[in-house]
Amino acid sequence: MAIEDDVLVIGGGLAGVTAALAAADEGTQVRLVTYKQSTLRHASGLIDVLGYTPDGEGPIVDPFDELEELPEGHPYERVGVDAVRDALEFFDDVVGDAYAGGHTDDNALVPTHGGTVKPTARYPSATAAGVASAPEDTLLVGFETLPDFEAPLAAAHLEAAGAPFEARGVTITFPGIKRDDAKVTRYAHLLDWDESVDGTTGARDALAAAVSDHLEDESRVGFPAVLGDDHPEEVRADLEDALGVEVFEVPMGPPSLPGMRLEDVLYSALEEKGVRVTSGVPVVDYETNGDPGRIDQVIVDRNGADVPHHADQYILATGGLVGKGVSSEREGVFEPLFDCYVPHAADRYDWFVDDVFGDQPYARFGVVPDTELRPLDEDDEPEFSNLRAVGGVLGGYDYAAEKSGGGVSLSTGYVAGKRAAKQVGE
Amino acid sequence: MTRDTEVLVLGGGSTGCGIARDLAMRGVDVTLVERGNLTGGTTGRMHGLLHSGGRYAVSDQASATECIEENKILRDIAGHCVEMTGGLFVQRPEDSDEYFQEKLEGCRECGIPAEVLSARESREVEPYLATDIKRSIKVPDGAIDPFRLCVANAIDAQNHGARIETHAKVIDLLRDGDDIYGVKVKHDSGPGKRTHNTAGSTEEITAEYVVNATGAWAGQIGAMADLDVEVRPSKGVMTIMNVRQVDTVVNRCRPKGDADIIVPHETTAILGTTDEEVEDPDDYPEEQWEVDHMIDTLKELVPILEEARTIRSFWGVRPLYEPPGTGTTDPTDITRDFFLLDHDDRDGVDGMASIVGGKFTTYRAMAEDITDHVCEKLGVDARCVTAEEPLPGSEDMSILNEGMDNFGLRSPVARRSKQRLGSRAQDVLDTNECNPVICQCEGVTRAEIRDAIDQSGSDLNAVRIRTRASMGNCQGGFCCHNMANELSHEYDEETVRAALDELFQERWKGERHALWGEQLSQAMLNYALHATTMNRDNDPANGSKAVDFGAFDGGRVKARTDGGE
Amino acid sequence: MSDAEQPTDSHIPGTEEFEPVDVFPEANEMDLRPGADNCYKCSTCDTNCPVAEVDDDFPGPKFQGPEQWRLKRQDDYDIDESVMKCSNCLRCDSACPSSVPLSQMHNTARAEYVEKHMSKYSREYWRNRMLANYRRLAPLGAMFPRTANFMTSLPFTGFLGEKILGIAGDRDFPTFATETFRKWWTKRGGAKVSNPDKRVAYFHGCYSNFNTPEVAKALVRVYEHFGYEIMVPEQSCSGTPMFANGMLDDARRAAETNVPELAAAIDDGADIIASCSSCSMSLRQEYPELFDIEDIERVSANTWDAIEYLRVHEDLEGALEGATVGEEFDDFAYHAPCHARNQGLDGQTVELLGLVDDVDAYDVGDSCSGISGTYGWKAENYETSMKIGEEMFEHMEHAPADTGLTECPTCSMQMGHGTGYEIRHTLEVLEAALVGSETGDA
Repeated sequence: MAIEDDVLVIGGGLAGVTAALAAADEGTQVRLVTYKQSTLRHASGLIDVLGYTPDGEGPIVDPFDELEELPEGHPYERVGVDAVRDALEFFDDVVGDAYAGGHTDDNALVPTHGGTVKPTARYPSATAAGVASAPEDTLLVGFETLPDFEAPLAAAHLEAAGAPFEARGVTITFPGIKRDDAKVTRYAHLLDWDESVDGTTGARDALAAAVSDHLEDESRVGFPAVLGDDHPEEVRADLEDALGVEVFEVPMGPPSLPGMRLEDVLYSALEEKGVRVTSGVPVVDYETNGDPGRIDQVIVDRNGADVPHHADQYILATGGLVGKGVSSEREGVFEPLFDCYVPHAADRYDWFVDDVFGDQPYARFGVVPDTELRPLDEDDEPEFSNLRAVGGVLGGYDYAAEKSGGGVSLSTGYVAGKRAAKQVGE
Repeated sequence: MTRDTEVLVLGGGSTGCGIARDLAMRGVDVTLVERGNLTGGTTGRMHGLLHSGGRYAVSDQASATECIEENKILRDIAGHCVEMTGGLFVQRPEDSDEYFQEKLEGCRECGIPAEVLSARESREVEPYLATDIKRSIKVPDGAIDPFRLCVANAIDAQNHGARIETHAKVIDLLRDGDDIYGVKVKHDSGPGKRTHNTAGSTEEITAEYVVNATGAWAGQIGAMADLDVEVRPSKGVMTIMNVRQVDTVVNRCRPKGDADIIVPHETTAILGTTDEEVEDPDDYPEEQWEVDHMIDTLKELVPILEEARTIRSFWGVRPLYEPPGTGTTDPTDITRDFFLLDHDDRDGVDGMASIVGGKFTTYRAMAEDITDHVCEKLGVDARCVTAEEPLPGSEDMSILNEGMDNFGLRSPVARRSKQRLGSRAQDVLDTNECNPVICQCEGVTRAEIRDAIDQSGSDLNAVRIRTRASMGNCQGGFCCHNMANELSHEYDEETVRAALDELFQERWKGERHALWGEQLSQAMLNYALHATTMNRDNDPANGSKAVDFGAFDGGRVKARTDGGE
Repeated sequence: MSDAEQPTDSHIPGTEEFEPVDVFPEANEMDLRPGADNCYKCSTCDTNCPVAEVDDDFPGPKFQGPEQWRLKRQDDYDIDESVMKCSNCLRCDSACPSSVPLSQMHNTARAEYVEKHMSKYSREYWRNRMLANYRRLAPLGAMFPRTANFMTSLPFTGFLGEKILGIAGDRDFPTFATETFRKWWTKRGGAKVSNPDKRVAYFHGCYSNFNTPEVAKALVRVYEHFGYEIMVPEQSCSGTPMFANGMLDDARRAAETNVPELAAAIDDGADIIASCSSCSMSLRQEYPELFDIEDIERVSANTWDAIEYLRVHEDLEGALEGATVGEEFDDFAYHAPCHARNQGLDGQTVELLGLVDDVDAYDVGDSCSGISGTYGWKAENYETSMKIGEEMFEHMEHAPADTGLTECPTCSMQMGHGTGYEIRHTLEVLEAALVGSETGDA
């Protein structure tokens, strides 16, 4: 017999988890099925809402000034501006102190590990002291074994970007790291457990001592985002105590500890709200029963065994090209699970433009939703009456250029979760 | 009148670098100018096959014989650039038995060791060959890295006193009546190593003799002095697979045709090619059908190519030439032989020769012939030693095979680094500094990157061709930024930023041709990393308009008002 | 039952052939380079590696897997020695968003390393071989359980184990049961229920046979409660410890016993069930990835986790709703084994026990226990293993429960070792809830 729930969410990234939490909030029994780990681990952990308009204007100070202006079909236009605000509040509630930025509608400018700054709406508390829109002199600290972050270069770049403070960078040896290819989780673990680095000194003290020699009159010190995984608040507090200045993290590329921490917070919330989570196994197929426009059950492949899962409402949150919610071959682009319509040019050479940062059509690949977030077929009819799509699997927007990925995931996830829950049993 | 240099070589491809090395080793003062990076023309855009000569064993036995001779020489003098993979000419059931026999006999006539393998034996050598192949001929084909080979020639020329100027574009030939006496070049960033954001300059370089070794561009150079060089550029596509589906060069055993060769090249396999005449070697269409044609035809030999990931495609332009009046219409039928055009004999213009046609495998022999010619013109009496003296990096290949230290690196990284650096490995890798891997796809460490930067300045594409960094499956998505970080020890932020942008765009150029399946996902991830995470597409440092930082959220109110706790 | 009449306890297959043979007689079995095509370098695998987090000598699964394979040429055999530090927890497998065959790459590379680089005369080789072949040693312990338990409990045994064999001296050897499951099964007369429409073949594995027969017995009672006819086919080790030690040849021999036996049971209308999460993982995933044996795909496709099977085929949730377990059990600190996580089973136990009235299971988080089968038994890994386990121990101690619960025998050893708690198996709790906790032999 099928495993039964009211709402089944497929995909465990930011959009899927938000949808599951929003649906669970309405008192429905929700299950989230996630195959592989989500792209949260690739993401910097920042929650962007809208940093640039689709025409490239920006950086935008207040995204809510621009949301109304987005073209028809943009996911924000589909859900409406109020939903974006509600979703951000919902997110703030879920993550609590782990995130900052909720005190204002305005974007913050956050330093990136490339030395640029980017506009974002919510940022991890670990990054809060580092916002580049605050005029405070900054020491950036890099580690010689982490070639992704070159602190002196990033500091020079911040100044070139016009940041309103003096920035300086130093490169030091991370105490306790023995191999040049240690993973970021190793750095975090040393600090989390304050492992002794030489038999007596703990990693936190040792790191602070290595930095303090370089600290002049800067009022804050920024590190690449490796300051703990399980106990980041403690790590940061200890470093701040020892250094006597504020400490922050510069978000990094994959693999991203801030992304992992956000994932932890979100999955704890799922547990608290009673969402059942099935992970490590893919949904491979679906079945209808009589009505071809309604999904009856989906099939989960557990290492070869077909396990049917039935729910009243389904939410597709499988991600975009990176998360594999959108797939492609030489001949075309498709949504692999329900085969929802994904508009794309027939000629593969029209999927891209020649400037790497140009207006890339491939970045907009995804399913097209109606205002209920149901994926539409080629004739603009909903593919299924009980399927909604959220987050990266949606098309029609370039999250990378707009800096809108987090906000779209939150707002579409939130709306789909609420509406799916309301529709249960209807 | 004194000239700046005795011989000026135009073109930093294999021919130009080979000539420069040969001249320098014979004691001639030589200057080489190249408009871009070394190998920037045809040399850097070939499939990396070290011919056994088997491909020409039926159609052009003179070339075939020359190939096997040079093949043996390169194994000796350029061991660190060569991988002796062996090659197979594979016959499918629909391919002619008669041709197979001709190929076999042709090889033997040309002194190319050739052995017939049954289908089963062939598949034991290459398990991914199609199950229905008929048989194959095994020949000593190999793989060669044209980048390292060319760079090694240039370095050796420099070691013998040559001046090598890259990013120095010839903008005019200096001609006085019937005498060509030099060129005018435009340096991208002044003479010497390239540094981004450094003002360019022009320079007149005079010489006793000018060698036009610009290959497919020879006609353009000739035109600057009103000389007609009838080079017929012909383009060919090459598609790079992410991994080596084969470890042996796999050729299709049939008379001629497109898409008939797979060359294992470093960590990848390269599919080739097509042959189509183009007007302008700098501007020709790069089309989807060409890429599809490679995969769809070569999967007849190696079926997993159908599903395999390609990471990019590129086109090379052959510098084909045939004497006026030959009238060949199909470029595949134009001879691969090379021609030395002495403009004095031909056009009555003294002081310059052009070299056209030819093929990579025999670059050294070509260089020797031309150098002989130039020496005769200059009255220099010196013997060619390029076939005997190993190139830098290949001086003593035995030390690599005798269990050289791993320099604290993981064994596959150490192995690949040593294969690339050859006998220079000790010098480069034996460092007390920490030495993290910068390019994980190709296993390139910081020490190797910095060594390349020392050689080539702020040009990361020059670092790339020396090290292979950013040439793996992420196509630089994860390492371009890290490579640029390594520049910051010698160059300022603005220079580093320009170098990074240039490399990243260059990587995208080839990757565009592989945008489906895994590589499209990779491209999206790369784009997200550079645009979303780093905001490099809207970097305020590049913008013309200053950002009003003060208008944005200044962070937690608490921290700002009481100055922390 | 005919297949239960000849228990294999005394049969030790393969002892006569200890010469290592080429693991890869066919070149095409080992070329996993095309598997690197799926990797887009996101490093999600690395963030899931419990070893890389505590030991920077281990460079993580991305390097060990797709990178190392991609850098390989056909004749290169210099697998980096760090592959021996991989604990084979398989977490990277379920992490990879792009389906790179990481564990298959590790298993194959490790076997290649052992084959080409590890001296067959070294202490490490023989220690690993012994640990990997627990199945062969356990019968001796089971034959004289009291003597064996006494011997292994002596301090000098641990000392000698550490000095001579490199087995962690601080670990307590598992206690042997006085009667193996198979003996019990034979004595009992095999299956009590006959039902041609509902048949299962039980792959009990080594541990519940030799060390915790109470788990196997619980399974029998629960399945018979639902009306299943249970078969207990002849079986050898599932191979998990052998994969982890690069002993693919030993594993293949074991598979050559298991696959035909299990396939025959499938022909008799049975599905295969396993109570140990590593056994089910091995049969389902590693078998078809690593071996080409007739029927192996069929066995893989018809193998289930024993609890999952009931959940899909019976109204297990209905049966548990409002049930009670009585005095025997209090609340549990539950650890989902990595190998259960890999099969999408990590939420199952908490979900099911949530339905039972008088017992709760508290999930202690998604960290690895750190023992990973034989990994934590090696003296050189002991400290790393305990470091990995730190997070789990901490969460166990914070959970409002004093008993541990899991489905993996070696996780259970680690949980007990790190906290001093008694550790039970979920099937035992289900038995109490569904059948009652009478402990007769019926």
